[in-house]
Amino acid sequence: MAWRKKIMDWLDLRLGIRDLLEQNLTKYLLPRNINVWYTLGAVLITLFVLQFVTGILLLIYYVPNPAEAFQSVSRIMNEVPFGWLIRYLHVVGSNIIVIALLLHMLSVLFMKSYYRPRELTWLSGFLLFNLSLGLCLTGYLLPWSQLSFWATTVATDAAGAIPLIGDEVVRFLRGGAMVGDVTLGRFFALHVMGMPLLLGLLVGLHLFCVRRAGVSRPPFGADYETWEPQGSFRHQEHPGGIPFFPHYTTKDTAVIFFFLAALLGVVFFAPWLFLPPDALEPADPFVTPAHIKPEWYFLWAYQTLKIFPNKILGLGVQVGLMTFLALLPFIDRGPERRPARRPLFVACYVLGVLLIAGISVWGHYS
Amino acid sequence: MENDRIPPERRRFFLTIMLSGIGAVLAAAAAWPVWQYLAPRKGVGEEEKVTIPRDQVPLGRTYFFTFRGHPAVVLQEKAGVFIALTAVCTHLGCIIKWLPEKGEYECPCHAGRFSSSGTVLGGPPPKSLESYPVSVQDDSIVIG
Repeated sequence: MAWRKKIMDWLDLRLGIRDLLEQNLTKYLLPRNINVWYTLGAVLITLFVLQFVTGILLLIYYVPNPAEAFQSVSRIMNEVPFGWLIRYLHVVGSNIIVIALLLHMLSVLFMKSYYRPRELTWLSGFLLFNLSLGLCLTGYLLPWSQLSFWATTVATDAAGAIPLIGDEVVRFLRGGAMVGDVTLGRFFALHVMGMPLLLGLLVGLHLFCVRRAGVSRPPFGADYETWEPQGSFRHQEHPGGIPFFPHYTTKDTAVIFFFLAALLGVVFFAPWLFLPPDALEPADPFVTPAHIKPEWYFLWAYQTLKIFPNKILGLGVQVGLMTFLALLPFIDRGPERRPARRPLFVACYVLGVLLIAGISVWGHYS
Repeated sequence: MENDRIPPERRRFFLTIMLSGIGAVLAAAAAWPVWQYLAPRKGVGEEEKVTIPRDQVPLGRTYFFTFRGHPAVVLQEKAGVFIALTAVCTHLGCIIKWLPEKGEYECPCHAGRFSSSGTVLGGPPPKSLESYPVSVQDDSIVIG
């Protein structure tokens, strides 16, 4: 098509666009045995963009004020055309993001893709995971429902277990002794501006690390060999690999659509899955609903605090686990990445996942 | 193979057309709810009437209020005779003001002049101000 060639010629003259596209798309080669788990990064970027867009749309009608917040959300749900769709996409989307994040991290863990020289990729990804949970927590309060109010009360109260400064930390998080209008103000500011800004920067750093170091080769197949730079920086090349475009982007697109289909499936057929009845009542600071529970991804932490006889020990275990995971590339430094040759790791991995899942289920039914 | 007779360019063209078509349908499906979500709601408040206490509008004076989402003004021109108009100038949308000494409206932006019934007396406004039906019920003025 002549017009397409003309546009490309025009851009190419000014930006060297053909070279840029070749280097990053058609001549950017990925390992031949790359698998479906590598698509989760693209899935997450898509879901974050969706959160960003639906979040901006919700901001048009949402009022961040305890007197009006619940009513403004009810109005979005019941009066504004397709407001229910925008809000459900945002609410369910946040849960799907957590699922995709967990799968992404678990696959990276299993394939030991965090191995040298990708420590910074792992670390930035781990920070992104925690920041996403922070976005979930701050967003949870905004509808100012009974569920929002009391889940936030319980979640912020957990910080009280920190020795010496616990009570001060709780007061600081809430902006006062109890969850109130000041809490809503600061959670709102963090949710719509502070955290998304930081998230954008961290996603940029994460993608830079991925692109700069090169995609890691999946540790499977008879001809697999551990690769690591010797002495100085080296981008990992994959001669004879498959092009990023169109081969791998096709796979990316397929998995993105799979996740979008799952998201729409929940939005249309089971939206109540993430909105229990307490989410439909306006917040009442004088009436705590029975059996208030945090969101499913915080259940393991909630139950851990209950299992241990004192709060400090419970919080210590959580902090210890998260620190261990964050620093794993610096602890697990052996060159072997093949799961079949790491039986101890695989056993710990499976047991660890089962333990966290088990504690979460226990927390749900306790 | 039968397919091998089709040159790659034609296959690529077919694929481009198909993907563009699917992409356009999906984009439209996503854009429609967003458009509806953002579009001003039709019919909301269009049947609305506004009631103003009669003593708010003394003889020869005006009272500004919001009518069906727009600024409006009601004037008691003669005893018991009320005229309600849009308060938005037909030139560039500024809000007119009442000059009691002249008995006319003036737009402060570009000095457009309107009579008490809203007809253009001078200046750049291209058309008269829209008027609204007014009725007096006991001690209230009902507009709309």
